[in-house]
Amino acid sequence: MSFEIDVRRRMGPETEIALRFTAGAGLTALFGPSGVGKTSVLAMVAGLLRPDAGHVRVAGETLFDAARGTNVPIARRTAGYVFQDARLFPHFSVRGNLRYGMRRAARPGMSLDEMAAFLGIAALLDRWPRTLSGGEAQRVAIGRALLSGPRFLLMDEPLASLDLTRRGEVMGLIERVRDELGLPILYVSHDRREVDRLAATVVEMG
Amino acid sequence: MLLSPDEWQIVRLSLRVSGVAVALTLPIAFGLAYLLARGKFPGKILIDALVHLPLVLPPVVTGWLLLIGFGLRGPIGSRLHDWFGLTLIFRWTGAALAAGIMALPLMVRAMRLSIEAVDRRLEGAARTLGASGWRVFWTITVPLALPGVLAGVVLGFARSIGEFGATITFVSNIPGETETLPIAIYAALQVPGSNAIVTRLALISVVLSLGALVISEMLSRRAGAGRGGHVL
Amino acid sequence: MRLAARFFSVLLAVFATLWLATAATAKPPLVLAAASLQESLNAAADAWAAKHHERPVLSFASSSALAKQIDAGAPADLFISADEPWMDDVQKNGFLAPGTRISFLGNTLVLVAPAASKGMVAIRAGFPLAQALGDGKLSMADPVSVPAGKYGKASLTALGVWPSVKDKVVRGDSVRAALAFVERGEAPYGIVYATDALSSKAVRIVGVFPSSSHPPITYPIARLAASTSQEAEGFRLFLISAQGRAIFRHYGFLPHRPQAL
Repeated sequence: MSFEIDVRRRMGPETEIALRFTAGAGLTALFGPSGVGKTSVLAMVAGLLRPDAGHVRVAGETLFDAARGTNVPIARRTAGYVFQDARLFPHFSVRGNLRYGMRRAARPGMSLDEMAAFLGIAALLDRWPRTLSGGEAQRVAIGRALLSGPRFLLMDEPLASLDLTRRGEVMGLIERVRDELGLPILYVSHDRREVDRLAATVVEMG
Repeated sequence: MLLSPDEWQIVRLSLRVSGVAVALTLPIAFGLAYLLARGKFPGKILIDALVHLPLVLPPVVTGWLLLIGFGLRGPIGSRLHDWFGLTLIFRWTGAALAAGIMALPLMVRAMRLSIEAVDRRLEGAARTLGASGWRVFWTITVPLALPGVLAGVVLGFARSIGEFGATITFVSNIPGETETLPIAIYAALQVPGSNAIVTRLALISVVLSLGALVISEMLSRRAGAGRGGHVL
Repeated sequence: MRLAARFFSVLLAVFATLWLATAATAKPPLVLAAASLQESLNAAADAWAAKHHERPVLSFASSSALAKQIDAGAPADLFISADEPWMDDVQKNGFLAPGTRISFLGNTLVLVAPAASKGMVAIRAGFPLAQALGDGKLSMADPVSVPAGKYGKASLTALGVWPSVKDKVVRGDSVRAALAFVERGEAPYGIVYATDALSSKAVRIVGVFPSSSHPPITYPIARLAASTSQEAEGFRLFLISAQGRAIFRHYGFLPHRPQAL
């Protein structure tokens, strides 16, 4: 099983998130309307949020277990997180951003230049995040996550703020990542068409 | 020669006292700013108030507190002297201490604002990429807070160049040792025919303070504009 | 709105009353006096008030600071300086009421140490003050402008000691500021007037500067041209009268010795 998730968390006086699912290999989509808590679930898998109860197991490793008091620190979960807003470091160049997580990468995998070619961003390596378009930034974000030696990927609506042409480009890229790298992917989206095209498993929320 | 050798000595002493004051206060101010920006602990309001005390207390009172605490007969000063051979009263080091304390609140305020403005989501992203707490601090938090921190440093420097009340109460006026720019101007005012000297020294004081304020403002703007560099 | 209007009209009425009240009372004389006269002049003012006069308002500072204030037009009635040059300065600038200047007190310059210290210092030509100070500082009034500091520097220069101690000097704003550092034990020695030493329990006199080593210490008093108080002249005459001088003698001041011409 790629993902075994069972989490519960109180988010405010009126709201609580509860989700339980298991999923196999390939891309698993978390599908639902805005505000239902999809991003929060992703954050809990990454370790950025701590669930009140339950467990999180990814690719056979237990990252969180409330009953046994296990809570692997964020830095050690080896997740590749692609944020909705790219979240590139403004004070590093594209190359610097890509390199940031590389020291964690256990096995060599792709080199920085190979990854840049794979993602079509070789020409951008010396640019600053401030000067990139939405699509370019998102590709750099994907590259940064991939170069950190992740054992699985978390993607939070990576296409949401892109226009149609860019959306097509980046979606194609994600398909290549899904097919060629063989990592478990947990993918959040509120767009049915994306989900239909990319996902092997769909988990509905809300 | 714009100034006489004596006057150059006064300016050099002022720069040295303020430079040392700010350099030594920097890590303390940053630590306090970080604590106040990110920490949640009981008594935080008290720490905040204590940090701001030198800003609102009459400088003479601050100077008096330094005198009774750090003088040769004070509880801290006597130990510093007996254990380390360190004397602060009537020394430029005491002037630096007074200047540093008066600059502290301004530095903490500026630094705290810049630390609070650092996007914590960027820190989270760095964590997911495998960075330890210290690595996040040095590669994300500090560089992004840096322009604001520098603005605070320059502001603190400007404040300590102009520091008078606490200094003259604690270390008095000793030419070549504690006679900083403001103290020299004050002493010169007591002497007849001193208008030329007073004007020259006052002009330097204005130039230094104005220059520091302008630089501080420019750094603050950079801190605000360069933040985030958002892509979408 | 109505509440604010009422509040402000009450405030206005209060201010107006205070303003009129202060304007109506006769102003007591404002005396600018050298710092060393603190206790003695207060006693004299009390004695004057006991004779059914308005008690004068006294302001103490170094004579140099006071002279600068008067030169800048400070509206005071009397000025008592601790040396002649500062009175000369004020007179030269035309701020004295003519015919009212007279020197009426003298003093002695002494070396003091904190009360808990031991030993005396023989003050004579070439005496080892620098060695006695060691690492410590000599607390003096500013030797450039304040009378007590000027007398001190003159004396040390005449005795050939000034070059060896001039880098160890802490310059106080006034002779009282100089006294304070010795009282606190932060400076091992200080140069003040005998009257200052006598008024403080925290210091002891360890040496006396020979009067031949410095210009005679004299205190001139004068009425200022800007004086508006009607009691000013009366108070001035009281101070220089036999009764007035007796009060000062009680605090250790010497009678004025006119300079030999």
